[in-house]
Amino acid sequence: MSVDLRSALFYSKRDIFKNKKIFIFITLSIIFATANIIAVNALMDGMIYDFVDNTVESSIGHLNIYPDDNERFIDGLGLKEQRLDGLNEVEAYSSRLSASGVLSYKELSAPIVILALDPEKETKVTELLQKLDRGAVINSNDKNTILVSYRLAEDLKLDVGDEADLAFENGDVKIYSVKGIVRTGDKDFDSSTVIMPMNEANRQLAIDNSASVILVRLSDKELAGTYKPVLMRELEVNNVRTWEEETGFLLSFADAWKGFTAVISSVGLIAAAISVGIVIYINVLHKKRQIGIMKAIGAKDSFIFAVFIIEAALFGVIGVSIGNVVGYLVTRYMEAHPFYDAIMQTWISARFGYYLFYNATIVSFTVTILAGVYPAIKASRVDIIKAIWGR
Amino acid sequence: MEIIRTSDLKKNYTLGKVDVQALNGVDSSIEQGEFIAIMGPSGCGKSTFLNLIGMLDTPTSGDIYIDGRDVTKMNGSARAEYRLKHIGFIFQFFNLFNELTAIENVMFPMMLNKQPDHKERAKELLNIVGLGDRLHHLPSELSGGQQQRVTIARSLANSPKILLADEPTGNLDTRSSVEIIELFRKLNLEQGQTIVMVTHSPEIGGKADRIIHFRDGKVMEG
Ligand SMILES: Nc1ncnc2c1ncn2[C@@H]1O[C@H](COP(=O)(O)OP(=O)(O)OP(=O)(O)O)[C@@H](O)[C@H]1O
Ligand SMILES: [Mg+2]
Repeated sequence: MSVDLRSALFYSKRDIFKNKKIFIFITLSIIFATANIIAVNALMDGMIYDFVDNTVESSIGHLNIYPDDNERFIDGLGLKEQRLDGLNEVEAYSSRLSASGVLSYKELSAPIVILALDPEKETKVTELLQKLDRGAVINSNDKNTILVSYRLAEDLKLDVGDEADLAFENGDVKIYSVKGIVRTGDKDFDSSTVIMPMNEANRQLAIDNSASVILVRLSDKELAGTYKPVLMRELEVNNVRTWEEETGFLLSFADAWKGFTAVISSVGLIAAAISVGIVIYINVLHKKRQIGIMKAIGAKDSFIFAVFIIEAALFGVIGVSIGNVVGYLVTRYMEAHPFYDAIMQTWISARFGYYLFYNATIVSFTVTILAGVYPAIKASRVDIIKAIWGR
Repeated sequence: MEIIRTSDLKKNYTLGKVDVQALNGVDSSIEQGEFIAIMGPSGCGKSTFLNLIGMLDTPTSGDIYIDGRDVTKMNGSARAEYRLKHIGFIFQFFNLFNELTAIENVMFPMMLNKQPDHKERAKELLNIVGLGDRLHHLPSELSGGQQQRVTIARSLANSPKILLADEPTGNLDTRSSVEIIELFRKLNLEQGQTIVMVTHSPEIGGKADRIIHFRDGKVMEG
C-alpha cells in the first residue's frame, strides 16, 4: 500500500489553512495543552525536588544509624565513633541527639524538638548549618546559645539576640540567647526545631555517650548499599538505612503527586484533542462531495485517510512546537520568580528539565493524531455515488 | 476500434422494500474517438450507466469491457488506479476542490499520478480551455462556465482514454453551453478523445457524432 504522501500533504496544507479562525483556535488549544503539561510538571518537579533536596541536604547522611528496636538511644557512642574513625570509606559522621521540650518567649510558648549536635562534625556531613536565614552558627562549646528554626521563631516572635526560656523533659528551665535562625525548607523541621551543641544537651539532660542517630558520610554515596553491611558488622548495630531507603518514601510520595499532575494535564489535553477531532470531523462532513470527487478522479481510500491524518499531524506539529516554546518560557519565568505557597508554607519554584519537552511532545502529538483517526476513517469510507449525487 | 462495450448490463437498487431497476439489460458499443450523447427522460438510467462505465459503481449483473478488459472484476483500489489513469469525469456542478486554485485543481490528478511536469502541463491545459489568464483564481472567483472549463482541463490531466460528462452544461446558460460543447468537439477532433456525454438538450445532443437514447433502463433501438 503506497500512499502518495506528497500530494496528500499538499492538499492537507491548503485545507487547514483555508479557515484562519478555526486554525488559530485549534492551534491555540494544542499550544495551551502542551505548555500546560510542561509547566505543571516543572512545577511539580520543583516542589518535589526542593522537598527531597531539603530533606536530604539537612537531615540525611549516606548511611544513617538508628538505635536498636525498642531502644531510645544508640549506646556506647564513644566506642562506635572510634570504630567509625577507623573505617576507610567513612569520610565524616555526625551524632545527633533528639529530645522534646518547650520554648517560651514573653507570653508565647511552643512544644519543640531539641536537636543536639556537634556543629563541627555536622558541617562535614550535612548542609543543615549552612541554611542559616540570619544570625550566626553555634559553636561546640557554646553554653548559652541556640539556633531556632524559622517558623518557630515566627510563631514565638523571636529574633536573633532575644533570650528565651527552654524547658527540658526533666523539668529544668534555662535561658538561652538566640544566635541564629535556620530555614531548611523542610516544613516539619522548620516549624518546631531548636538546635543546641551536643555538650550542652548532655549536661542539661544528664545523658552521656548516647545518640538518637548517627549520620555517616561516605567517600561516594553510591557505596551506601554495599557498605551498609560492613558498617552493621563493624559497629554491631542493627538499624542502618541508606539515603535511598530514607528518601524512597519521599520519592514514592512524589510519584503519587505526579500521577495527580498527569490527571490535571490530561484534562487540558483531552479538551484539545476533542476540538481537533470535532473540527476535522465537521470538515469531513462538509467535504463529503469533494471527497467523492477526489475518489472519482482516482484517489484511493488510503490516500483520503492520509489527507485527514496529515491534517491532524499538521495541527499537532505546529501546536506542539509553539506549545513547547511557551511552556519553556513559562517554566523559566516560574523558576526565576518563585511564589509563596501559604498552605505548604514553602516557596515554590519550577524546575525545568529537557525531558519535559520529550514528554509533552510525545503525549500531545500522539493524542492529536489519535483524535484525527476516526474522522479520517470516516472520510476514507465516503461512498462516491452518494457523495456526488447527494443520495 | 471498440473502446467501451457493455452486455446485458443491469443495476438494481433497493429502496426499502421496493426494487428499482435503474438499468435493465443495456447492450452498447462505443468506438475509440467517438463523441457520444446519451439522452432520455429523467430517471431512465443515464447517470447510472455513466457511473458504471466510469467504474464509480459496480453492476448487479452483466459485463463492462473497457479497452477489451473486463473491469467488473477489479477491486476498489485497482479501479481507483484505472480511473486516475484512463478516465476523466465532468459532473453537472461543484466539481472543483474549493481550497485549490484553478492550476492546482488541474495539477492534482497529475500529482496523484506522480507526473513530474504537472505544473507546465496544467498551464498548457488551462490555455487549451481558454483560461490561461485565470491560473491562480479560486473556484469561487470563477463563473460557472469557467469552473466547468477548469473541470474539463482537470479531466484531461492524465490524458485519459475516455471523457465522461454527466450534464456538463446543465447549470450553464446557452452561450457557455455552446462554448463547452465546442471545446469537447475540438478535443475530440484534435486529440481523438472519446467522449460520452449525458444531456437533456436536443440542441447540444445534436452536436455529437451519435446519440444513444435511453428509456426505462434500456437502450432504445433504431
Ligand atoms: N442510489 C440510488 N438508490 C436508489 N435508487 C436510485 C439510486 N440511483 C438511482 N436510482 C434510481 O434509478 C433510476 C435511474 O436513475 P438515474 O440517476 O440513472 O437517472 P437519470 O437518467 O440520470 O435521470 P436524470 O436525467 O434525472 O439525471 C431512477 O429511478 C432513480 O430513482
Ligand atoms: Mg442523471
